[in-house]
Amino acid sequence: MKKLQGVAVSDGIAIGNTRIILRPKLHIRRKSITQNQIKTEFERFESHVNNVVEEIDQLITDISQNQDNRDILSTHKMILTDPEFEASVKKLIEEELLSLEQAINKHFTAVVELFSNMENGYFAQRSSDYEDVAYRLLSKILKQGGDRFEGLEQDMILITDNITPSEVTSVFAKNIQALCTERGSKNSHSSIIARSMNLPTLVNVKDLLANIENDQKVIVDGHQGVIIVDPDRKTLAEYEPLWKQEKKDKQLLLALTDKESTTSDGHQISLMSNIELPEELDNVLKVKSNGIGLFRTEFLFMGRKELPDEEEQFAIYDKIAAKIAPEPLIIRTIDVGGDKLSEVLNLEHELNPNLGVRGIRISLKHIPIFKHQIRAILRASTRENIKIMFPMISTVREIIKVKTVINECMKELEKEDIPFDNAIQIGAMIETPSAAITSDTIAEECDFLSIGTNDLIQYTLAVDRDNMAVGDYYIPYHPSVLRLIKMTADNCQKKKISCAVCGEMASEKIFIPLLLGLGINELSVSPGRLLMVKNEIMKYDLQKIKGHTDLILQQNTCEDVYDKILKYGELDEYFE
Amino acid sequence: MIRKTIVVENELGMHARPATLIVKAASKYRSDFRIRMEDMEINGKSIMGVMTLAAEFGSNLELIADGVDEEYLINEIAELFANKFGED
Repeated sequence: MKKLQGVAVSDGIAIGNTRIILRPKLHIRRKSITQNQIKTEFERFESHVNNVVEEIDQLITDISQNQDNRDILSTHKMILTDPEFEASVKKLIEEELLSLEQAINKHFTAVVELFSNMENGYFAQRSSDYEDVAYRLLSKILKQGGDRFEGLEQDMILITDNITPSEVTSVFAKNIQALCTERGSKNSHSSIIARSMNLPTLVNVKDLLANIENDQKVIVDGHQGVIIVDPDRKTLAEYEPLWKQEKKDKQLLLALTDKESTTSDGHQISLMSNIELPEELDNVLKVKSNGIGLFRTEFLFMGRKELPDEEEQFAIYDKIAAKIAPEPLIIRTIDVGGDKLSEVLNLEHELNPNLGVRGIRISLKHIPIFKHQIRAILRASTRENIKIMFPMISTVREIIKVKTVINECMKELEKEDIPFDNAIQIGAMIETPSAAITSDTIAEECDFLSIGTNDLIQYTLAVDRDNMAVGDYYIPYHPSVLRLIKMTADNCQKKKISCAVCGEMASEKIFIPLLLGLGINELSVSPGRLLMVKNEIMKYDLQKIKGHTDLILQQNTCEDVYDKILKYGELDEYFE
Repeated sequence: MIRKTIVVENELGMHARPATLIVKAASKYRSDFRIRMEDMEINGKSIMGVMTLAAEFGSNLELIADGVDEEYLINEIAELFANKFGED
């Protein structure tokens, strides 16, 4: 038995047999060429290399690449355009009369060997760059190496070196049990997608490939981030009941996919999805969410040197709106701290970015950039299923300003004869205490409000949620937070507009009855947790939980509040 | 032809990023550019060449430029080394 530690991306337990899938082998025919063919092989070299370089150039500008990938791709491009590479391949063709494929292969094999034999570990690793480039080029020339996951079957545990975002979508569609990769990081795009698929996934497992064989029994523990190879009897006996229970629970939840999200006494609660990448859409559709309650647009702006223009943004918004229609798509305008955009916007360094120029403050400071986003959203709104939401609102004035900008954009579009939804709904995120306290005036100017609990808690309690030293102070059920949520929900009800919660609180089992009791009628959660939340909603009788919530609101201490929250499950006995 | 001796001063040595920067900078010029380390001499406009040097912290290198813009080339490369490739 061996235990390997990795980084957990998505929790859950899996027990099964491994399938290691690396790149398929390429087959190169041994064949000599004649003197007359040398020129043709030279021409083929140039055209194939040019094609692959062009392909790499396109990948580099692709918005879904992060900076690390871009750096790797630039290195690949440099390897392909290396004058020594061209000279060496041409020499092999001319002097040894090798075909282009054989010459390229021979050249790279020698280079890889040279690097692998270096004593310094860092340089030895460089051989992988050359292997990658050789593979990329040769698979193009030979037209081989298509879908490497073809042989993957249901319930297998996939072991691989690294995986691209589109590959994650395709392997999970094959109903594998778990995914473990030797490389990768917790917040890579591939990991974000794996998380929204809700299957046990580990990344960055040290020495994974050196320690695992095909068809070996393993336990993947996504709670602790470990993979146990060849588990002994005792360990297996420990994990099996947990695994079976999780499988059973998952089956039960899957059966809820087509059920309406209503409380036991028949009140409909709209249940929507949060996404941060377009690739997560398949999963949103799979769990039959009531639309997208929060589409984060940050990925469009991060890790790049130039901002996306209107066209690029329009293409993405339009694609998602089309796929999710007729269900609604709520697009949140860019929400980052100035620290993250300083490279492109030339912003000054801030001592405390959380209390600085972030969210709507950035947009209102950089109107031309903001207008690109608003125009792109408006142009994508022709199906009438898009709504716009604004982050970090702290005063109604910001909403009024935002509306002027929207109006200007609408006038421009009208002049240009470009269609859009002129009744598009707009909403504010309530995530600062000032917004919650003045939510009556904000509600006056909006068509809906959505509470971002993560920030609301952080700003209300003056606690940085990532600072372990004050971890004890981060209490989502603090009476102050509950009162702010209640105040916001009441103000929405008076204006007859919907009041959603899209923070993490909405997908925590124990807080779901609490939020409903406070008057929230819409929850937006990660698609991987949506069915679990639906299951919770269906358990409760809204009338009864409202009564109990009033009692909770009268408690003075966090401890008393918590005790009462745990009692939601016992309400039936309590009232009988 | 001009020659200049420099020492690798960035801690990680000439790994992929510095190598990329050297090749990018050198490729802008028309002059030939070679780097010599002990008895090994490579084409400084080749990423493969620069990386096979595997020059570590403290290595002595000789930069050799030959051509119409040799002076500009060697100055730019020497500056990259002096700035430790912007790594500290």
